[in-house]
Amino acid sequence: MADSGDHKARQEMLDLWRVYRTTKEMCRDRGYNVLPEECNISFDDFARKFGTDSGQIARGQMNFSTIPSEDMVRKYTPPATPKVLNPEPAIGTLWVEFNADENIGMKNLREFITHLQNGSYYSGIMIVVKPLSGMAMRGIRGAQQLSGGSGPKGGIEVFLEQDLKINITKHELVPTHLLLSTEEKAQLLKRYRLKETQLPRIQVTDPVAKYYGLRRGQVVKIIRKSETAGRYASYRWAI
Amino acid sequence: MPPKSILKKTPAATSTQTHPAVAANPPPPARPVNQRHLSTAVQHARIYEQRKQVETAILDAVFELIDFPTSPDADPARPSPSDAHRFRQAIVPFQPSDYDGLIEERNIAAKCGYTLCPRPKGKAPSTAKKHFVETSKGVQIVDRKKLEMWCSDDCARRALFVKVQLNEEPAWLRQGDYGTEIDLMVENAEDHHKALPLRLKKAAAPAPEDAEADAAAAWAARDDALADLAMERGETPGRLSKANKDLITDKIKERVARFQPTPPSLPPGQSHMAIEGHVPKSARHAEPKDSDDEDDEQDWDKALPG
Ligand SMILES: [Zn+2]
Repeated sequence: MADSGDHKARQEMLDLWRVYRTTKEMCRDRGYNVLPEECNISFDDFARKFGTDSGQIARGQMNFSTIPSEDMVRKYTPPATPKVLNPEPAIGTLWVEFNADENIGMKNLREFITHLQNGSYYSGIMIVVKPLSGMAMRGIRGAQQLSGGSGPKGGIEVFLEQDLKINITKHELVPTHLLLSTEEKAQLLKRYRLKETQLPRIQVTDPVAKYYGLRRGQVVKIIRKSETAGRYASYRWAI
Repeated sequence: MPPKSILKKTPAATSTQTHPAVAANPPPPARPVNQRHLSTAVQHARIYEQRKQVETAILDAVFELIDFPTSPDADPARPSPSDAHRFRQAIVPFQPSDYDGLIEERNIAAKCGYTLCPRPKGKAPSTAKKHFVETSKGVQIVDRKKLEMWCSDDCARRALFVKVQLNEEPAWLRQGDYGTEIDLMVENAEDHHKALPLRLKKAAAPAPEDAEADAAAAWAARDDALADLAMERGETPGRLSKANKDLITDKIKERVARFQPTPPSLPPGQSHMAIEGHVPKSARHAEPKDSDDEDDEQDWDKALPG
């Protein structure tokens, strides 16, 4: 039986290694500062760093925070207006937590929010083993209003470990998605004399949109490779 | 690689230009504001705002009620008036599904699902996901989650007694006042009378001690009957009187017959083949006696009663 236990622990370690790498890649692809060696960590290094002496995974050790790159800050800063000369960027430090709990309810969510508040994090990502309770999910949708409006400005996202075992954007059929800055979006609409509502849409719950953390109102440029037309770009409005 | 500007400004770049997957039509010219559309939009915005407020209130209430009752040695059968009052007040905007959410949250916190019970949740015989349980209907397979929801059958009863009173309609769509009062199954109704202006229902009515309690029990019984009736009619329980007030008028007008009623009969010249009074030729062949359809109209007229 010890063998099967070891095997189970090793399988979990392997899974978590993949989840960890996808998470780091996701942060990098969103524009956070992530080092290449963090995305490419070898299994042995991972097991050494986050494993206990008995070969179990210590999820709590995997938690990390990351700050947005200059380019990301630029993209997330609304253009200056006569009233607001120096607008605040709508992005900031991100806290990522790997939660081993199988039953996560509102109480755990409030604890998570408190942690984000205490650390002055702009937004948070929770990576969980099993789906949150219905009430907790409802709490996340209105996370900014929770706790008397002092919730994280950038909100909270939840991912299942299962969904991060592979990086869906690495699939050859998933085209490149590039987030437009507020300014770029304004230029696009002006150039084609469009209203944003006239653009084709992408739902923020779409797996790729979730990967990039798209927010309602943002526009992504989607670049496909086409055999007949070379590179082909389209734009989608996140709803 | 820093992302380049997506927009090429020179027409020379046309060959490499990216094509948006949308028609580049100019936006339609602005139309004058339609007052009706405007008021509809305002109405929707108001509902949305109310919905957000209700949603926040429900989440806050659930969060508060996870830690109920306020005393660790509280008795669910004889709750403290303040706990009972707060509980009844907090769940008014709840729909039954919100209440299920509260029970789930309490169970996640390892507590009995009934809000006024301080005991830990039940424990299934093993950690298996499904269990065989002996019931009055024979052996049934029950989820472990369900089995561990309550500390006792008594709590399950008290909790469900609350659930059946909850309004199915989302609070932001409810008409008039927010909702109905929620009753609890308690054994110390007298305590609650002193503390609250509201009536509380007795579980297994012990002999009422005074006329006031007697009256309260009578009112409770009446409300029960009304609720049952409402359920039977497919109305929302508790909103019976409101729903019916406009429908029933107290003046009943008798209609008087002015002539002897006669049973309906097929008018002469009319046959079952007629389509709105006209008999198609093919049908007339089949019925040779209907030769003169010129008279049809008159005959039909004569057959009219009165
Ligand atoms: Zn109980």
